[in-house]
Amino acid sequence: MTILNESGIPDVLPPLHAVNGLSERLSDVLVVVVGTQAEAHLVQTLPAAPSPNLPPSRRNQRVIFAVIDPDDPPQQGVLASRIVESAAGLRGTKLVLLVAGRTAEALGIDAAFEATLVARKLDLPTEAVNPDAPREVPGVLSTDLEDGVLAALVKLCPKRRTSDLVETASPTKRGGLLGGLLGRGTEAPDSGEGRPVVLLGGVITRGAARGIATELLRAGVEVAGAVPENGIEDLPPLGEGTVVAIMDPNLTSAATAAEQRGATVVKTLMPVGVDGTARFVQDVAEEAGKRNSEAVRARSAWEDLGVLRNRIRGKRIFFTGDTGLEIPLARFLADAGAVVLEVGAPRLDRHFLAVELQALGPDVDVVVSPDYRGQMSRIEESRPDVVISSPGLQLPLVARGHLCRSPQDFLEAGPYGYGGARRILELLVHTMERAETLDALNL
Amino acid sequence: MKLLRGVYEGPQSFGILRLAASIRDVHALLRALPGETHFRTLYGVRERTGASVPVTLSPLREGSTDSMEPGDLARDLSRVVRRHPKTEIVILVRSEASLLLGENISVTMPSEIEGTGRPPLLVTLPWEEPGMRETEAAELALEDLIRARMHDRPERSPYPTVNLFGPPIFGPGAEAEYAEAERLLDMIGVEVNARVPLGANPVDLARLPRAWANVLLYREIGESATLYLQDEFGMPRVTTPMIGAAGTGAVLRSVGELCQLDPKSVQRTIWAELARTAKLPWYARLEPPETFQNRRVAICGDFTYPLGLGYALAREVGLEIVACGTYLTHLARDFLFHADTFTEGAFVEEDPDEVAARLEAAKPDLIVGTHLEEDVADSLGVPYLPLCPPVTDRPFVERPLMGYAGSSVLADALDTVLRGRRKEPTGEVGMQWTDGALQEAATVPLFLRARARRLAEERARSQGSGEVTREIFLESRY
Repeated sequence: MTILNESGIPDVLPPLHAVNGLSERLSDVLVVVVGTQAEAHLVQTLPAAPSPNLPPSRRNQRVIFAVIDPDDPPQQGVLASRIVESAAGLRGTKLVLLVAGRTAEALGIDAAFEATLVARKLDLPTEAVNPDAPREVPGVLSTDLEDGVLAALVKLCPKRRTSDLVETASPTKRGGLLGGLLGRGTEAPDSGEGRPVVLLGGVITRGAARGIATELLRAGVEVAGAVPENGIEDLPPLGEGTVVAIMDPNLTSAATAAEQRGATVVKTLMPVGVDGTARFVQDVAEEAGKRNSEAVRARSAWEDLGVLRNRIRGKRIFFTGDTGLEIPLARFLADAGAVVLEVGAPRLDRHFLAVELQALGPDVDVVVSPDYRGQMSRIEESRPDVVISSPGLQLPLVARGHLCRSPQDFLEAGPYGYGGARRILELLVHTMERAETLDALNL
Repeated sequence: MKLLRGVYEGPQSFGILRLAASIRDVHALLRALPGETHFRTLYGVRERTGASVPVTLSPLREGSTDSMEPGDLARDLSRVVRRHPKTEIVILVRSEASLLLGENISVTMPSEIEGTGRPPLLVTLPWEEPGMRETEAAELALEDLIRARMHDRPERSPYPTVNLFGPPIFGPGAEAEYAEAERLLDMIGVEVNARVPLGANPVDLARLPRAWANVLLYREIGESATLYLQDEFGMPRVTTPMIGAAGTGAVLRSVGELCQLDPKSVQRTIWAELARTAKLPWYARLEPPETFQNRRVAICGDFTYPLGLGYALAREVGLEIVACGTYLTHLARDFLFHADTFTEGAFVEEDPDEVAARLEAAKPDLIVGTHLEEDVADSLGVPYLPLCPPVTDRPFVERPLMGYAGSSVLADALDTVLRGRRKEPTGEVGMQWTDGALQEAATVPLFLRARARRLAEERARSQGSGEVTREIFLESRY
């Protein structure tokens, strides 16, 4: 694996575009986007998952735009008062998120202070999230707002106390993420004594945490909960003694927030692909106090994927980079026999992704901060079989005869776990089969 | 500060980028935050042509820019010129964030850029300011681009020609609007000198004074530029919206007059088109009058479409226009002047929630508007026609709404939503609401309020109650 830095302008959606998706996913949250006409227009115009065939999102009553007049910015506290008035009409609100970036900052809005006022007046948790927050590693990922929101949710999780640790050890007290499925309070099989595990991530994929929790349960580890959960009130306790398992490679802020609470964040592969899932389950189980080998399960999963792997073997795949999911996807596809030509990484946190990068095959080039024009040229030269492209490049590439899929397609299909490995390969195989059928037409 | 649930327009940079991307061989250098790259995505999703958008980001970075990575404006400008050697104009655009952060911009086009020959023209827009809106900025930028190209005074063409000032990219059916106008002008013997801005190139901009007149298909964008051409070169303007059969006929007759054509010949062409292409008059005559009787229509959008459609629907079809509004506050006076000729419900409002309240109060049977009004129509349970930009429909085959062909598109659209929907007296007794229920209803967002009321009244009826109480209202919402 080689890492190159192109110092270019990557094609990445602004993190703010994720507001619509987040408000759909977190149904009891009121999102207030603070800024100017530009921010409101961006959120309204870009759908949650931009695609040539998807219309923009319809208006969501849980998203409000606080459009500030640059010539007359509000005095401190006015924004909070207006939000309180608006929130009064929305029943069932459990959390208010103030999404305020550089523009709001330039207009003198102290989002954290306003959030404190809103929280006090509404008696509801209120968090300020900055989609443009500076990071240790330069670059922008389209999923940065999701990371920021998850970090805020981590801070809202009930804190674990030492007495909780003792209580958690008692199997009769457990409900866990699968409590609803198995019957709340039901004892998990062979759960024994261990540290509680909380899953972090899977925002876009519905049921992602539940799927991974099932895999962990098979290994004897009961998952105490996930962030995000269905509702704010369902957030699991998270603090000292909690094992946090990260499901997405872009959640650096959320992971840091968990560590700051004293939780142990497991440094392992993301649960994407067969080996990724096996290593994830094994390492999380070990951290939670269970020794377990996933070797048999992984071998069996690879065998089950035999037919799909035969269709993928030797296919040349190019990732332009957008969400951050590209690295684990590339790792799995390379393991499955595909030839990964390039993985674009608009931002690459080598420390956070150290395990993923080590697992990436020796022939894969990672291009940090890739220039989209350079990528277009390299795609034209190398003629890959499939390009996993960012939304802005998809149509120009399709027009030039390339076969494209978006990373969002994989996220919506559900890339996690052993089942996710099959879904990833099926999605690619179906894409190629469909293209072959269309190419065979005599137009 | 306003708390809004939607906005009609984007910021000034969005309007200028739409304009720049409409004109060939113009490249926009966008000074913005590193994450502000979404115009490329919107261009791909909206235009669906596969073309690369002629916009390059010059990211505004904090700290020193001693590396070769993009961010140094002068270097980024040189790169644009080197990478796009056919570019004739580079327009420098600043995002709202860039303007608010107060960066002092000072850049000039280098006299020599290695290997590119003559450097392109650099157009900067010193009037850009935070808070400015998309349409107004696009209008001013078009005037600036034309002024920048107007070095000499080209001679008037020896035969009748006009310039078409129409919508920029992203306008629904924009290309088709120009094509229909050009087809009709060709039929009366007038050539189109230039289409502006969509499809024009910098040479066309320099040759605009060759034309005998300017026809404003989309006044929102062409107003300032055509006023400049009128003042500087004495070029007359035709400003009537070319919508509906009457509007189209009026434009063709005005052009005929300005181009000194034989009025009888122009009228013969109009009659031939009325017989062959224009189906709106046919529809109005063929459909029983009861279809349109007491039918109340509310329209909202930009400037040209609400006015053109309002006039056509009121006068040519016979529908009652109970509300007609624009979101473009900077055109308020002109809009109200024209809209007052066919409705008593003319209004100007930029908050979509306030528009929703206006539409709800007007109790329309049909809403014609932008995608923002779709929720309102849904909430009121009335048909909706997305005929004013912006809309979410992105058909592969564009259809005009202007000209005689456009009048037929309008007839088809009306036929679809009004067919079999003759208005019958309802005879339904209005439901009483308790004060508590009314207070609860007042907390529902405006664009959803009508639906909430309808659901509550349905629930009250199903429970055999003669009034909507607070409890019934709350139950009906969940």
